[in-house]
Amino acid sequence: MTKHRLPRELLPLTPPVFHILLALVEEERHGYGIMQDVSQQTDGALQLGPGTLYGCLKRMLAAQLVEESDERPDPALDDERRRYYRMTALGKRVVRAEAQRLAGAVTVAMARLAGESA
Amino acid sequence: MTSESNPMSGFCRLYSVLLYAYPPEFRRQYGRSMEQLLRDRCRDLARRPGGLTLFRFAGQVMADWLRTTVRERAAAVWSAGRKPAKRSSVTEWAGTFLIYLFATTTLVQAYVIPTGSMEGNLLIGDHILVDRMVFADPGPLGRHILPYRQVERGDIVAFLYPEDLRQTYVKRIVGLPGDRIRLHNGQVVRNGRRLVEPYVQHIATQPDPYRDDFPLAPEAWTTPRGRDMLQHHVRNGEVIVPPGMLFALGDNRDNSADSRYWGFVPREYVVGKPLLVYWSYDAPTAELQQWTLDHVIDVAEHFLTRTRWKRTFLVPRSQPAEEVGDAR
Repeated sequence: MTKHRLPRELLPLTPPVFHILLALVEEERHGYGIMQDVSQQTDGALQLGPGTLYGCLKRMLAAQLVEESDERPDPALDDERRRYYRMTALGKRVVRAEAQRLAGAVTVAMARLAGESA
Repeated sequence: MTSESNPMSGFCRLYSVLLYAYPPEFRRQYGRSMEQLLRDRCRDLARRPGGLTLFRFAGQVMADWLRTTVRERAAAVWSAGRKPAKRSSVTEWAGTFLIYLFATTTLVQAYVIPTGSMEGNLLIGDHILVDRMVFADPGPLGRHILPYRQVERGDIVAFLYPEDLRQTYVKRIVGLPGDRIRLHNGQVVRNGRRLVEPYVQHIATQPDPYRDDFPLAPEAWTTPRGRDMLQHHVRNGEVIVPPGMLFALGDNRDNSADSRYWGFVPREYVVGKPLLVYWSYDAPTAELQQWTLDHVIDVAEHFLTRTRWKRTFLVPRSQPAEEVGDAR
């Protein structure tokens, strides 16, 4: 059902999904790594709780925006094995499309608000 | 490696239980990761100073839990409708419901104030939430999850009425075990020192010796437990609070059926501490205790005008009385 979808059809993304995708652009991460990165991206404004994070990941897996990588320990934390997630090609196209959509929305907003103050 | 002395380790254990509110499939797939995530976050926060961050984080996690359990449950039912269901979704929901029930009956409970005995602080029709954990015996594990403490003088406390355990009373604790209590001209004298109680109001115009110069010989209103107290626990004109008991008085001191009339409150009858008034509605006492059709209609008609908006989310304060000089 989710196969062969156009990126456009998945827009707009919810803020958690958008920022989770952004967290995975450069490298694959485990859950806590995603949570930390999202907090950093948003200056602490978006703190993902465990339920929100894994609920989103579940739906993103189903929509094939991300995929599971292997399970391995994170040397920076401890010796427990953690599940890593990486972005798919579709995920990358979707997050790019969403960024463009947002940029368009910001342009419109700026133009209107500038007109208002004048 | 994982330090068990971390104050959040109890919270992490509680969270593993709370995970049972998620649909089994979701829990099986992500439960372990979610616990791991919580542990990592707790460990990072514990390294940083400031207890407030920990509490704010715990609040965020609970909010997240409430939102996402409902969401994942709904998603599970939705997808079960399209796939052949493996298990009855009724039992699934029952699981979630039980956990909510645990949270709402063990941690907090709602009561309505039916009498004016605490008038000045709590009015008739105040609907309050009572924190049931704060005075409960924590046990070694619970101590880390929620703040516990002993009952202190000046605390407003909800407890089971000793003469009829079906009723819950709310009064102020005036005496702890070992305290010597008497009243002189309506003022409490504790261990020989007169109390200044700014929260108390006096409304009576007529003097009443039993009420104002307690303890005296039992009168008509004194219950069997009250008589027992007057018979066995009075020495030199003072009531002495025995071990395991509390002496409680209403703030509306002249119009309050309290320890003067029905004796001590056993410590184990204490239910908890009023947390806040979540709704205050101006209605006759009898109607507040039973949701009759008339009361429902009354509330529907007058919700806006009879709700005391100023009292919404008011926090009843425990307040220690000031002890001044020797009485007399």
